[in-house]
Amino acid sequence: MIHEIDARGLACPQPVIMTKKAIEAGEDCVVIVDNEAARDNVCRMAKSQGCEADVEERDGCFRIRVMQGAGRKRKESVVPAAGPTVVVFPCDRMGKGADELGNILVRGFLHTLGEISPRPDVMIFFNAGVKLTTDGSDVLEDLHALEKAGVRLLVCGTCLDFFGLKDKLQAGIISNMYDIAETMLSAGRIVRI
Amino acid sequence: MTDTKSFYIVLFDSTSEALLAEKLFKKAGISHKVIPVPRQISSDCGVCIRFSAPDMERVSAALDDRVAVRDISPLD
Repeated sequence: MIHEIDARGLACPQPVIMTKKAIEAGEDCVVIVDNEAARDNVCRMAKSQGCEADVEERDGCFRIRVMQGAGRKRKESVVPAAGPTVVVFPCDRMGKGADELGNILVRGFLHTLGEISPRPDVMIFFNAGVKLTTDGSDVLEDLHALEKAGVRLLVCGTCLDFFGLKDKLQAGIISNMYDIAETMLSAGRIVRI
Repeated sequence: MTDTKSFYIVLFDSTSEALLAEKLFKKAGISHKVIPVPRQISSDCGVCIRFSAPDMERVSAALDDRVAVRDISPLD
Protein backbone atom coordinates (compact mmCIF):
# COMPACT_ATOMS: atom_id res chain seq x y z
CA MET A 1 0.00 0.00 0.00
CA ILE A 2 1.25 3.43 -0.93
CA HIS A 3 2.36 5.69 1.90
CA GLU A 4 -0.18 8.46 2.45
CA ILE A 5 0.94 11.74 4.00
CA ASP A 6 -1.84 13.94 5.32
CA ALA A 7 -0.37 17.45 5.37
CA ARG A 8 -3.67 19.32 5.50
CA GLY A 9 -3.67 22.29 7.86
CA LEU A 10 0.12 22.34 8.15
CA ALA A 11 2.06 25.52 7.54
CA CYS A 12 4.81 25.80 4.96
CA PRO A 13 7.43 24.25 4.96
CA GLN A 14 6.02 21.27 6.84
CA PRO A 15 4.38 19.51 3.84
CA VAL A 16 7.61 19.87 1.87
CA ILE A 17 9.71 18.44 4.69
CA MET A 18 7.39 15.46 5.12
CA THR A 19 7.42 14.73 1.40
CA LYS A 20 11.16 15.07 1.22
CA LYS A 21 11.63 12.57 4.02
CA ALA A 22 9.52 10.03 2.16
CA ILE A 23 11.47 10.61 -1.06
CA GLU A 24 14.75 10.22 0.77
CA ALA A 25 13.50 6.97 2.29
CA GLY A 26 12.96 5.78 -1.28
CA GLU A 27 9.17 5.59 -0.93
CA ASP A 28 6.48 6.55 -3.38
CA CYS A 29 3.77 8.47 -1.59
CA VAL A 30 0.55 10.43 -1.84
CA VAL A 31 0.65 13.81 -0.16
CA ILE A 32 -2.63 15.52 0.70
CA VAL A 33 -2.55 19.30 1.06
CA ASP A 34 -5.29 21.89 1.32
CA ASN A 35 -3.85 24.88 -0.48
CA GLU A 36 -2.29 25.79 -3.79
CA ALA A 37 0.97 27.13 -2.38
CA ALA A 38 1.65 23.84 -0.61
CA ARG A 39 0.68 21.94 -3.75
CA ASP A 40 3.12 23.95 -5.86
CA ASN A 41 5.94 23.72 -3.31
CA VAL A 42 5.60 19.97 -2.91
CA CYS A 43 5.47 19.44 -6.69
CA ARG A 44 8.45 21.65 -7.29
CA MET A 45 10.53 19.95 -4.61
CA ALA A 46 9.55 16.47 -5.91
CA LYS A 47 10.58 17.41 -9.43
CA SER A 48 13.84 18.90 -8.21
CA GLN A 49 14.52 15.48 -6.66
CA GLY A 50 13.92 13.78 -10.00
CA CYS A 51 10.50 12.44 -8.99
CA GLU A 52 7.23 12.62 -10.86
CA ALA A 53 4.32 14.45 -9.25
CA ASP A 54 0.73 14.05 -10.42
CA VAL A 55 -1.93 16.22 -8.86
CA GLU A 56 -5.57 15.32 -8.45
CA GLU A 57 -8.04 17.76 -6.94
CA ARG A 58 -10.69 16.24 -4.72
CA ASP A 59 -13.10 17.93 -2.30
CA GLY A 60 -11.09 21.16 -2.24
CA CYS A 61 -7.87 19.31 -1.39
CA PHE A 62 -5.00 18.26 -3.57
CA ARG A 63 -3.72 14.69 -3.69
CA ILE A 64 -0.20 14.68 -5.02
CA ARG A 65 1.13 11.33 -6.11
CA VAL A 66 4.90 11.40 -5.86
CA MET A 67 6.75 8.64 -7.68
CA GLN A 68 10.45 7.96 -7.72
CA GLY A 69 11.43 8.69 -11.29
CA ALA A 70 14.26 7.38 -13.40
CA GLY A 71 15.86 10.80 -13.11
CA ARG A 72 16.26 10.52 -9.35
CA LYS A 73 19.65 11.71 -8.10
CA ARG A 74 20.72 12.71 -11.56
CA LYS A 75 22.27 16.12 -11.24
CA GLU A 76 22.45 18.43 -14.17
CA SER A 77 25.96 19.55 -14.75
CA VAL A 78 26.62 23.24 -15.04
CA VAL A 79 28.57 24.14 -18.12
CA PRO A 80 30.94 26.90 -17.13
CA ALA A 81 31.16 29.79 -19.53
CA ALA A 82 34.57 30.55 -20.99
CA GLY A 83 36.16 33.34 -18.98
CA PRO A 84 35.63 34.42 -15.42
CA THR A 85 32.27 34.79 -13.73
CA VAL A 86 31.80 38.32 -12.48
CA VAL A 87 29.10 39.40 -10.04
CA VAL A 88 28.38 43.11 -9.94
CA PHE A 89 26.80 44.99 -7.05
CA PRO A 90 25.51 48.38 -8.26
CA CYS A 91 23.59 48.86 -5.04
CA ASP A 92 23.79 47.76 -1.40
CA ARG A 93 20.47 45.97 -1.81
CA MET A 94 19.11 43.27 -4.05
CA GLY A 95 16.40 44.45 -6.36
CA LYS A 96 14.17 47.48 -6.23
CA GLY A 97 10.94 48.01 -4.35
CA ALA A 98 11.37 47.67 -0.62
CA ASP A 99 14.70 48.75 0.85
CA GLU A 100 14.43 46.67 4.01
CA LEU A 101 13.65 43.58 1.95
CA GLY A 102 16.47 44.33 -0.50
CA ASN A 103 18.86 44.46 2.43
CA ILE A 104 17.75 41.04 3.69
CA LEU A 105 18.03 39.63 0.17
CA VAL A 106 21.56 40.82 -0.49
CA ARG A 107 22.66 39.36 2.85
CA GLY A 108 21.04 36.07 1.92
CA PHE A 109 22.64 36.15 -1.51
CA LEU A 110 26.15 36.71 -0.15
CA HIS A 111 25.71 34.01 2.49
CA THR A 112 24.56 31.62 -0.23
CA LEU A 113 27.50 32.42 -2.53
CA GLY A 114 29.73 30.97 0.17
CA GLU A 115 27.74 27.75 0.27
CA ILE A 116 27.29 26.92 -3.39
CA SER A 117 29.46 26.24 -6.38
CA PRO A 118 30.57 27.50 -8.76
CA ARG A 119 31.87 30.53 -6.93
CA PRO A 120 32.26 33.80 -8.76
CA ASP A 121 35.80 34.72 -9.77
CA VAL A 122 35.39 38.44 -9.25
CA MET A 123 32.86 40.64 -7.50
CA ILE A 124 32.65 44.32 -8.37
CA PHE A 125 31.08 46.93 -6.10
CA PHE A 126 30.16 50.34 -7.41
CA ASN A 127 27.82 53.22 -6.65
CA ALA A 128 25.99 52.44 -3.37
CA GLY A 129 27.19 48.84 -3.71
CA VAL A 130 30.46 49.94 -2.08
CA LYS A 131 28.60 50.31 1.23
CA LEU A 132 28.56 46.51 1.44
CA THR A 133 32.34 46.56 1.83
CA THR A 134 32.75 49.25 4.48
CA ASP A 135 32.44 49.67 8.26
CA GLY A 136 29.06 48.68 9.63
CA SER A 137 28.14 46.45 6.69
CA ASP A 138 26.19 43.32 7.62
CA VAL A 139 28.01 41.15 5.12
CA LEU A 140 31.70 41.63 5.98
CA GLU A 141 31.96 38.11 7.41
CA ASP A 142 30.72 36.66 4.12
CA LEU A 143 32.93 38.91 2.01
CA HIS A 144 36.02 37.92 4.02
CA ALA A 145 35.21 34.24 3.61
CA LEU A 146 34.75 34.69 -0.13
CA GLU A 147 38.06 36.55 -0.39
CA LYS A 148 39.72 33.76 1.54
CA ALA A 149 38.24 31.28 -0.94
CA GLY A 150 39.96 33.17 -3.75
CA VAL A 151 37.26 35.53 -4.98
CA ARG A 152 38.63 38.95 -6.02
CA LEU A 153 36.66 41.90 -4.69
CA LEU A 154 37.04 45.13 -6.64
CA VAL A 155 35.62 48.21 -4.97
CA CYS A 156 35.11 51.41 -6.97
CA GLY A 157 37.44 54.07 -5.54
CA THR A 158 35.50 56.96 -7.04
CA CYS A 159 32.39 55.68 -5.31
CA LEU A 160 34.08 55.22 -1.91
CA ASP A 161 35.34 58.76 -2.24
CA PHE A 162 31.92 60.10 -3.20
CA PHE A 163 30.33 58.56 -0.10
CA GLY A 164 33.25 59.60 2.13
CA LEU A 165 34.04 55.96 2.86
CA LYS A 166 37.59 55.68 1.52
CA ASP A 167 39.10 55.09 4.98
CA LYS A 168 36.28 52.78 6.02
CA LEU A 169 36.98 49.96 3.57
CA GLN A 170 36.87 46.55 5.30
CA ALA A 171 36.83 44.07 2.42
CA GLY A 172 38.26 43.96 -1.09
CA ILE A 173 40.66 46.31 -2.79
CA ILE A 174 40.15 49.83 -4.06
CA SER A 175 39.87 49.69 -7.80
CA ASN A 176 39.43 52.03 -10.74
CA MET A 177 37.30 52.21 -13.86
CA TYR A 178 40.07 50.68 -16.04
CA ASP A 179 40.16 47.50 -13.95
CA ILE A 180 36.41 47.44 -13.58
CA ALA A 181 35.70 47.96 -17.28
CA GLU A 182 38.36 45.45 -18.36
CA THR A 183 37.10 42.85 -15.93
CA MET A 184 33.52 43.27 -17.09
CA LEU A 185 34.41 43.18 -20.78
CA SER A 186 36.57 40.05 -20.44
CA ALA A 187 34.06 38.18 -18.31
CA GLY A 188 32.58 34.86 -19.39
CA ARG A 189 29.39 35.93 -17.76
CA ILE A 190 28.23 38.82 -15.66
CA VAL A 191 25.69 38.43 -12.91
CA ARG A 192 24.07 41.64 -11.78
CA ILE A 193 22.12 41.61 -8.58
CA MET B 1 30.54 29.47 6.38
CA THR B 2 33.48 27.24 7.17
CA ASP B 3 32.53 27.36 10.84
CA THR B 4 32.38 24.06 12.66
CA LYS B 5 30.56 25.68 15.59
CA SER B 6 27.13 24.38 16.26
CA PHE B 7 24.26 26.63 15.22
CA TYR B 8 20.54 26.83 15.58
CA ILE B 9 18.09 28.62 13.34
CA VAL B 10 14.88 30.40 14.21
CA LEU B 11 12.13 29.95 11.62
CA PHE B 12 9.25 32.36 11.13
CA ASP B 13 5.94 32.46 9.31
CA SER B 14 6.79 35.65 7.48
CA THR B 15 9.67 37.85 6.44
CA SER B 16 8.34 40.73 8.50
CA GLU B 17 8.48 38.59 11.61
CA ALA B 18 12.07 37.69 10.81
CA LEU B 19 12.88 41.40 10.48
CA LEU B 20 11.22 42.15 13.79
CA ALA B 21 13.12 39.31 15.46
CA GLU B 22 16.40 40.62 14.07
CA LYS B 23 15.74 43.91 15.80
CA LEU B 24 15.28 41.99 19.06
CA PHE B 25 18.54 40.11 18.49
CA LYS B 26 20.33 43.43 17.95
CA LYS B 27 18.72 45.01 20.98
CA ALA B 28 19.79 42.08 23.15
CA GLY B 29 23.28 42.16 21.65
CA ILE B 30 23.14 38.53 20.55
CA SER B 31 25.45 37.58 17.74
CA HIS B 32 23.43 36.29 14.78
CA LYS B 33 23.15 36.10 11.04
CA VAL B 34 20.13 36.44 8.79
CA ILE B 35 20.33 33.65 6.23
CA PRO B 36 18.01 32.05 3.67
CA VAL B 37 16.12 29.06 5.07
CA PRO B 38 18.37 26.11 4.19
CA ARG B 39 17.36 24.11 1.15
CA GLN B 40 16.93 20.90 3.11
CA ILE B 41 14.23 22.58 5.18
CA SER B 42 12.27 24.48 2.58
CA SER B 43 12.26 25.29 -1.09
CA ASP B 44 11.02 28.83 -0.73
CA CYS B 45 9.97 29.95 2.69
CA GLY B 46 12.29 32.87 3.06
CA VAL B 47 14.76 33.91 5.67
CA CYS B 48 15.65 32.68 9.12
CA ILE B 49 18.05 33.78 11.85
CA ARG B 50 21.07 31.70 12.74
CA PHE B 51 22.69 31.85 16.18
CA SER B 52 25.26 29.90 18.19
CA ALA B 53 24.03 27.04 20.32
CA PRO B 54 25.27 28.51 23.64
CA ASP B 55 23.02 31.56 23.14
CA MET B 56 19.82 29.49 23.20
CA GLU B 57 18.57 30.81 26.53
CA ARG B 58 19.28 34.42 25.66
CA VAL B 59 17.49 34.00 22.34
CA SER B 60 14.43 32.48 23.99
CA ALA B 61 14.34 35.32 26.50
CA ALA B 62 14.78 38.01 23.84
CA LEU B 63 12.06 36.67 21.53
CA ASP B 64 9.65 35.46 24.19
CA ASP B 65 6.10 36.63 23.43
CA ARG B 66 7.39 39.46 21.26
CA VAL B 67 7.44 37.69 17.94
CA ALA B 68 5.74 34.59 16.54
CA VAL B 69 8.36 31.91 16.13
CA ARG B 70 7.48 28.86 14.06
CA ASP B 71 10.36 26.72 15.18
CA ILE B 72 13.90 26.71 16.49
CA SER B 73 15.91 23.89 15.07
CA PRO B 74 19.51 22.78 14.94
CA LEU B 75 21.39 23.51 11.74
CA ASP B 76 23.53 20.68 10.45
